[in-house]
Amino acid sequence: MENSPSNTNAPYTLLPEDPFPARPLASFRRPLKVFGATVASVVFLMSLVGLIINQSPVPPAKNDHHGSDPLTSKATSFSEDAERLPTGVSEGVSAKSYPSVRDRLSYNWTNAMFSWQRTAYHFQPEKNWMNDPDGPLYYMGWYHLFYQYNPDSAVWGNITWGHAVSKDLIHWLYLPLAMVPDRWFDIGGVWTGSATLLPDGRIVMLYTGDMANSVQVQNLAYPANLSDPLLLDWVKYPDNPVIVPPAGIEYDEFRDPTTAWIGPNGTWRLLIGTKVNSTGMALIYETTNFTTYEAAPGVLHAVNGTGMWECVDFYPVSTNSSEGLETSVVGPGVKHVLKASLDDLKMDYYAIGTYDPVSDTWTPDDPEADVGIGLLVDYGRYYASKTFFDQNTGRRILWGWINETDTDYDDLAKGWASVQTIPRVVTFDNKTGSNILEWPVEEVESLRLDSTEFDDILVEAGSVVALNISSATQLDISVEFEIEGSDALEALEVPEAIIECATTQNRSTLGPFGLLVLADESLSELTPIYFHIAKSTNGSLTTLFCADETRSSKASEIFKKVYGGPVPVLNDEKFTMRLLVDHSIIESFAQGGRTVITSRVYPTEAIYGAAKLFLFNNATGVNVTASLEIWQMNSAFIHPFPLEELGGGRFSQK
Amino acid sequence: MKGFFFLTFILLFHLIVASPWAPALSLRKRVDLIKKTCKKTPYPDLCISSLRSHHIRSGATVHDLASMMLKLTLANATDTLSYMEALINQAEDPQLERPLDYCAELYIPVVKYTLPQAIVAFNKTQYGFAEYGVSDAGDQADTCENDFSKSKVSSPLGNRNKLVSELCDVAVAIIKMLQ
Repeated sequence: MENSPSNTNAPYTLLPEDPFPARPLASFRRPLKVFGATVASVVFLMSLVGLIINQSPVPPAKNDHHGSDPLTSKATSFSEDAERLPTGVSEGVSAKSYPSVRDRLSYNWTNAMFSWQRTAYHFQPEKNWMNDPDGPLYYMGWYHLFYQYNPDSAVWGNITWGHAVSKDLIHWLYLPLAMVPDRWFDIGGVWTGSATLLPDGRIVMLYTGDMANSVQVQNLAYPANLSDPLLLDWVKYPDNPVIVPPAGIEYDEFRDPTTAWIGPNGTWRLLIGTKVNSTGMALIYETTNFTTYEAAPGVLHAVNGTGMWECVDFYPVSTNSSEGLETSVVGPGVKHVLKASLDDLKMDYYAIGTYDPVSDTWTPDDPEADVGIGLLVDYGRYYASKTFFDQNTGRRILWGWINETDTDYDDLAKGWASVQTIPRVVTFDNKTGSNILEWPVEEVESLRLDSTEFDDILVEAGSVVALNISSATQLDISVEFEIEGSDALEALEVPEAIIECATTQNRSTLGPFGLLVLADESLSELTPIYFHIAKSTNGSLTTLFCADETRSSKASEIFKKVYGGPVPVLNDEKFTMRLLVDHSIIESFAQGGRTVITSRVYPTEAIYGAAKLFLFNNATGVNVTASLEIWQMNSAFIHPFPLEELGGGRFSQK
Repeated sequence: MKGFFFLTFILLFHLIVASPWAPALSLRKRVDLIKKTCKKTPYPDLCISSLRSHHIRSGATVHDLASMMLKLTLANATDTLSYMEALINQAEDPQLERPLDYCAELYIPVVKYTLPQAIVAFNKTQYGFAEYGVSDAGDQADTCENDFSKSKVSSPLGNRNKLVSELCDVAVAIIKMLQ
């Protein structure tokens, strides 16, 4: 896809003047030129007409549930792309990419720009499409990650389970595909699922199978060989499916089984998300053997108006310690988090509440901030998150899928799409009592190389300060901001509350201020990550934490918006941020992980050595001081597992 | 007559005296193999002294030396973990207990899974897997040691982490010779 600029730098030597100009030849050439120009214009006009006709979208056939045939879909020409529905919609799952009628106006990306976008230490397959993380678990010394994967293309389709292992959640090794859609009960795709580790050491994997007629069923799979620490081979239970859509539930709105937990009577329970009209809900299924199930009479919880609940997750958190809890734990000092990925909004919502194991119901602590109407797991480009209990270190760990915000066309051109976040530890925030905290696993710190410290840098109102560091595309940044004269803030004339994050050009007395990430020297491209403080209607100060992607790239086809949400800042707390910058992904954590924003950016100039880091303060009424520690981050060198070492010829490509 | 007896005596004498040379020759060969192999590892002295103090059967190959080194590494890691657990049980100072707990958490999967799996893999000639496991075990020992320096607490573990780490490096080096 190289688009080399026309070479205007070659030295041009004038030919010596021809003392005998060949006039007869010139006079012959002129009619030929005119003729050639006419033909060329006609051809051009005809092709333009042809192109215009081709561009009008063709509506998909009503009974065509498959869209493009997954087994043969390859990188398509871009006129086909302009006609295609967002991938996934025709198959009955949420659209995986933002539709763009401006696909054809793709930026002239160079190979250098595209390869810069690959992350250095985030998990992503070597190529092609990935979406939801599946069945994460720890077993016999290895962390396992499975993921929705299309082995054939950089857009969604032909979904299999990719597989990778790691000893430390950071250095991953690719393994062969764990499951492919090769049975009648998952021929349309091996969709999302979760693992349950049984007390006797067995592993049970439940996943959604998409059938040929688009019916969504739940299937059971388990490792072929529990003494294989890599869990390479998986067996699908021969009598699948084990759960089919019940009466009253739409056949294509019934998916993503959760990890199971044990109830008081010794039976296991798990949840499957669905919706009835526009009420999103979590259905409960009970089992003793994981092969036969009974639908519970009630639902765990439902919220009107939230639409389909995908990737439901349900887990306990300790309110009085930072220890993670195994999924079946209940009792005093325990609250339960219920989370759903809302299909209609493509956002992950959660709420904290109380689970009653006897009635199998869950009640939110704050009904005004119920699932789907309150807090987001991550305020950025983030979806389909899933937690697991890491019994090795006693942590509750959260995975999240980060889609691209460029176009399908760009993804096909560069050959890949999507990354996973760095796994995050989830704990209950017992200072606020009303939210969870998410923080990158400390193993990510093993990637830290050298660091640069900056103490008490003054950033005056309306100014930008450059930070002199060696390189700015792979960073772990911790920064603390203090507002000068912060004891007098209450007395300041602050305009009415800003309810939502807006672009950084919206200046007010107390903000925005923060960092400019992946910015070039001239600030022609920049991604501000910042705080913006306003006075709320009752006179107290509220803080927003935001990421403004609107000027992150000159490429026009990219979906660029301002992301973010409120973050609680308690008395005597400074404003703190931690950022993990890794090429085209930025994960930003405010106040120790109370509010998190994941961003995808695709600069065209602020790349490689041209990317810089700045502090900025667009507030009109205050100066801020900032102290930072900035670590250069190493690559995680994610690569295939050296399987040839394992011999036996078992690893022919599926 | 006398000459005959004298000759026989000389012959017998030589036979009796010469026989110790045979085992002495094979001992030198064995020691040479240890020396030759260990010289190519990052810590030759440690390698030599560890291997020499264990009985290596005659006819031992580099494969056997690697196998022995893996077992030694696991034994040392297991001892270190037991020592840590004993210290944690009697620890009164929470400042000291925290890094010890952290280290124990690193060592437990090493002793329980990583090194045993590496040994199983090694016995099946799956050298890449074995190398990866031993290498990771060494990283855990280093991380444990670094945590003490980071928390500015003097390590009560003495040289144990260093020993485990270096044994891992030696084991990896010997395994590499087989590939």
